[in-house]
Amino acid sequence: MIPRYQRILFLSLSVAIVLMAAFTIRERQKAHDRFTTANEAAPYIEPVNTPPESVTLDLANDFDGSILSAERDASLPQEPSLRARALIERLFAEYALPESPHPLKAGPGVDDVFLLKPPTGSNPVASGGLLAVVNLRGTFDDNHPSGVEVETLTIQSIIGTLHANLPQITQVRFLVNGQPRETLAGHADLTRTYPAIDAAVRPSAPVEAAQP
Amino acid sequence: MQATLPYFNRNVIVLDPAHGGQDAGATLNGHALEKDVTLALAASLRATLTARGFTVVSTRDSDLTAAAPLLTGDQRAGTANHLRPVACIVLHATASGNGLSLSTSSLPLQEAPSASEPSAPIPWDTAQSLYLPQSLRLANDLGLALLRAKLPVQLLRTALKPLDNLTCPAVALEVAPLVVNGSKPTPVTDAGYQQRIADTLAGAILNWRDLMAPKPVAKPAPTPTSGGNP
Repeated sequence: MIPRYQRILFLSLSVAIVLMAAFTIRERQKAHDRFTTANEAAPYIEPVNTPPESVTLDLANDFDGSILSAERDASLPQEPSLRARALIERLFAEYALPESPHPLKAGPGVDDVFLLKPPTGSNPVASGGLLAVVNLRGTFDDNHPSGVEVETLTIQSIIGTLHANLPQITQVRFLVNGQPRETLAGHADLTRTYPAIDAAVRPSAPVEAAQP
Repeated sequence: MQATLPYFNRNVIVLDPAHGGQDAGATLNGHALEKDVTLALAASLRATLTARGFTVVSTRDSDLTAAAPLLTGDQRAGTANHLRPVACIVLHATASGNGLSLSTSSLPLQEAPSASEPSAPIPWDTAQSLYLPQSLRLANDLGLALLRAKLPVQLLRTALKPLDNLTCPAVALEVAPLVVNGSKPTPVTDAGYQQRIADTLAGAILNWRDLMAPKPVAKPAPTPTSGGNP
């Protein structure tokens, strides 16, 4: 026969173990979230060992649907894939400004950009050029505004900016967290290989046409 | 590129209210869901088109059920292509931008199959490229009508499913809040705004259809010749 006080002690210790385990798990999760948030909120840092240079950004405007080229100063690495990534981050930093006409949430949006030689015969028009595989962050996709126009403008501005500064890029593909994803935020197709020969697919106004 | 239409059911229009079921689309005004707004807009457009004599088929007439929670882009395109409609209108709504945008596929233009090889297979992923001249013309004509109705409109080329897979003249209409001269924006959930769009589009589609696929003229019955058989 186990004395009553021992049973109470046993139960109390068991409850304490369970509570301590729950507390530890919760604290671990909170610390993980804090760490992740700190990483996501890390600002875009320009490399300081290269002099600033003028780059062309294709900047989108949600209100009139336009994409206009603009010159900005940026310090970029020389290695082409790092340069491509830095260019896209510079573009996203512009969109994160408070008065941006194409507002996107601040924070890094690209994990990597890979520059590859496309498979032979995949696109005869783009032969000789490079395929840029842009690996977007999942948080960028999740926070991106949803809509046909706004998503199309983001994609076209990325493609236009890459092509304007790295003309050897003739095709662009997108991944999210290293995996193919159907759409950017529910609309624009991310499964397609986009040509970057002339990325300027500008919106236009309808015009009076001759009768057929 | 030919601007006239091959064989179509000239009275059939397919509407595709985007999203549905588990796929809610964008969140508008903080509470409305894109899938509900596109469904409401499709209902208005269906009523106005039906009143003008069209047979309207919608890829969905209600929110999708738990038994069929998701309608893929391929399924939507398959429904539309099977009917050979004179036009397909894909409906979207968004919280950003101003007014309306009419999108056509960003696929490159492709020559129609030659008369000597009319049954050449059409690649599914680029099926729309054969119909782009008609789609561009449709988007332009709808855009003109919307401009005349004092609704701001932009024409876009975009990569959007199921637009690329449709074998009919096809445009995607995206409705954004209406901002006129800095006034308070009219939300996309506004029934009056939706009805105005539907009325304008229905009239424009009718005019476009009559231009691109005129009603066939009935041929006179052949007169019997005399003196043939005894």
